[in-house]
Amino acid sequence: MPYRERAAWLALCAMGLPFTGYFVWVIAAPPTAAMPDWSTFTRFGVAIALQIAIWSLGTLWLRRRHPEDAAAPLDERDLAISRRSIQTGYSILFAVTCINIGCVFPFAQGGWKLINVGLASIVLAELVRNSAVIWLYRRGFHG
Amino acid sequence: MTQADLGARVGVTRQTIAAIESGKYAPTLETAMRIAEAFGKRVDEVFFWQVAP
Repeated sequence: MPYRERAAWLALCAMGLPFTGYFVWVIAAPPTAAMPDWSTFTRFGVAIALQIAIWSLGTLWLRRRHPEDAAAPLDERDLAISRRSIQTGYSILFAVTCINIGCVFPFAQGGWKLINVGLASIVLAELVRNSAVIWLYRRGFHG
Repeated sequence: MTQADLGARVGVTRQTIAAIESGKYAPTLETAMRIAEAFGKRVDEVFFWQVAP
């Protein structure tokens, strides 16, 4: 498995696990307190801290296990897959943001709902980008 | 010559060479020429196009 694919799996787990927990909580018990709501902010902070911890420790572990692959510069295939995955992730981010701002929240809603929808858009785009990296490495990509 | 040796000569990773060999990745023209040069062959002797039936 290429190193970049391993890194994408790690990023997927680092973002997916903490934020799944965060959004399950947001959906099950939507924040209703007036802003600033420090309990909601704390939960978000925990999710971010977990993401950073998982990603940092995982990256260190990967670099120790595969030092040569980690040090190798990106080759043409890595760059092509990176470009295509960023394109895919950005398209998702753009589409979801436009739908939310243009249709779901037509300048009439705000607060935690808007913030969490925005966060969800970013998380979804990143999950799609890393999934695209994994898919392209596994199934093949002809540029 | 191993995949890693060929990759080092050509400027790509061993995994990319493996992907080229298994048909999962089509190299750029420059890389294809470098591969052919590494084998001392012409490009069309190393790479070939199969028309789908």
